Amino acid sequence: MAGRLSYAARRVAMAIGLLLAVSALTFGAMNLLGDPLFNLLGPAAEDTSPAGLERIEAARAEYHLDDPLPVRYVRWLGDFATGDMGVQFSSDGQPPVSDLVVERLPRTAVLLVLAQVLATLIAIPWALLAAPRVDSWFDRLSTVSTFLVVAVPNFALGVVLKYVFSIRLGWFPQTYVADDPALSRLYQLLLPAITIALPAAAVYQRLLRDDLATTLQEEYILMARAKGLARRAILFRHALRPSLFSFVTVFGLTTGALIGGSLVVENIFRVPGLGSAIVEAVVREDFPVVLAIVMVVAIVFVVVNFVVDAVYTAIDPRVRK
Amino acid sequence: MSGSARRLGLLFWASVGWMVLVCGAALLAPWLPIDDPEAIGGDSGRNAAYASPSWSAWFGTDGLARDVFSRSIHGARVSLVVGFVAIVLGLLVGGTLGLLAGYFRGVLDRIVTFVFVVLLSFPSLVLAILVVTLLDRGLVTIAATLGLLAIAPVGRVARAATIQFAERDFVTAARMIGAGHGRILGRELLPNVAVPVGSLALLGMAVAIVAEGGLAFLGLSVAEGTTWGTLILDGSETQTLTDAPWVALCPIAVLFLTVLALNLAGDRVRRMTDTRTSLL
Repeated sequence: MAGRLSYAARRVAMAIGLLLAVSALTFGAMNLLGDPLFNLLGPAAEDTSPAGLERIEAARAEYHLDDPLPVRYVRWLGDFATGDMGVQFSSDGQPPVSDLVVERLPRTAVLLVLAQVLATLIAIPWALLAAPRVDSWFDRLSTVSTFLVVAVPNFALGVVLKYVFSIRLGWFPQTYVADDPALSRLYQLLLPAITIALPAAAVYQRLLRDDLATTLQEEYILMARAKGLARRAILFRHALRPSLFSFVTVFGLTTGALIGGSLVVENIFRVPGLGSAIVEAVVREDFPVVLAIVMVVAIVFVVVNFVVDAVYTAIDPRVRK
Repeated sequence: MSGSARRLGLLFWASVGWMVLVCGAALLAPWLPIDDPEAIGGDSGRNAAYASPSWSAWFGTDGLARDVFSRSIHGARVSLVVGFVAIVLGLLVGGTLGLLAGYFRGVLDRIVTFVFVVLLSFPSLVLAILVVTLLDRGLVTIAATLGLLAIAPVGRVARAATIQFAERDFVTAARMIGAGHGRILGRELLPNVAVPVGSLALLGMAVAIVAEGGLAFLGLSVAEGTTWGTLILDGSETQTLTDAPWVALCPIAVLFLTVLALNLAGDRVRRMTDTRTSLL
């Protein structure tokens, strides 16, 4: 029991340490790469008129730019943790960055969850079909197709799917409308979600197929067959669960790549999520927005991996040792 | 089994052939008999905008009547350089850090491992967004940033391989006859660690080329000049994609074949080197 507790405590400490390191890196980048004043104020930082200079002085005082870095880091972290992510610079400081994040984050999150659900729903049956027939024509075909799908960059896949399914065939709408009812918005997210899900499904299928094929050679599977259990019962009840361990790990790790992917894919399908917010912010050189999004995404990623780790520990007690 | 694993095979050589073709075309682009990529209406000035692929313009023309084939070849110049520089940087820095951490262990190992973990805690594209936004969108910055992303994955492989080899008898033997750290690292460990680490090069280059495309879609790719990413981005706008799908689809095909070739060749090399180390 004590061992279990200390394992959990170590994991929590590690996650907190990572969050601090990630935030320090982001903060450091903002202050050491380029001029921090410019990063906070944008073009206004170069305004040398009396009014402009006044504004610069005000900003210096507000952000305590004359204080040493560690002091400012702690203050910035405190602000960030309480939801104060600074102001967007172009539009006279309003609205605050946190408003934008609150508006955009759910869309990216829904897209990501939808994609992971789709990827899992595709990968598990696919692997269950291929694994008992290793080296059959079906298995070979699916190995080749996973290889091909993984080689398609997500933005290229997005453009091709958009061209075929929404422009040529007209099966999916071409844009996302924020005011539509929830169900039709979900439908509008389906094609971008498929774009993100397909390569992930291919990765999961490969992994699951290999693990399942290995599990199927275990003696207890032979035993189950000798008892006369149906093939299907053996696959689902005896083989699937012990084959899921590496799938769970990779599921967590892949989430990071998928977050990056969804930021990109959003821009192809005009989903106004965090990825589109980055593009808009880059055009205006609106650094606080980009930094806030980078921080939020990194936090989500650390938390997701922490949760995956906890799940992994729950299903496989051997890791705790 | 080991025989087939050691042979490179037809697909490998087809991939190499494609890479030679693409790299050759990219290198020689200014001297090839193709249109100027920026010339409106092509070299003759008579091409129409959004002309579909034909004998005179293999990939058709874009909205400014520029030749898409020529633009794809010139785009390869930037994309390939970015991919190449990025992975070389990743191999050099990541490989060195992993080698030192795996050999000396102790505090250095803890620090390096922590740095790797922190780097990997950012979804890779997000780290690139951070750096590129704050610096500039020059060719060097983008290549260096993508190189930064390669450090942790490469470094981990290098560290693991070093730890494995450092326990072997030949390293102990070298130490017994009085070899210093420098000699053991350079003469005994480096040649062995270089095999699994180097086999990541082709796969890593593919990853960097794709990452550049991703950055392009976020408005963060190389500001000057055309890359495959910016080409595809230009063609993927809904109206262009409806009227002139070739503007996006042709560069996509070139990019896909290149990434596929790098993956196939890289996978082959990785498996071959895997077999060899496990046979030892």
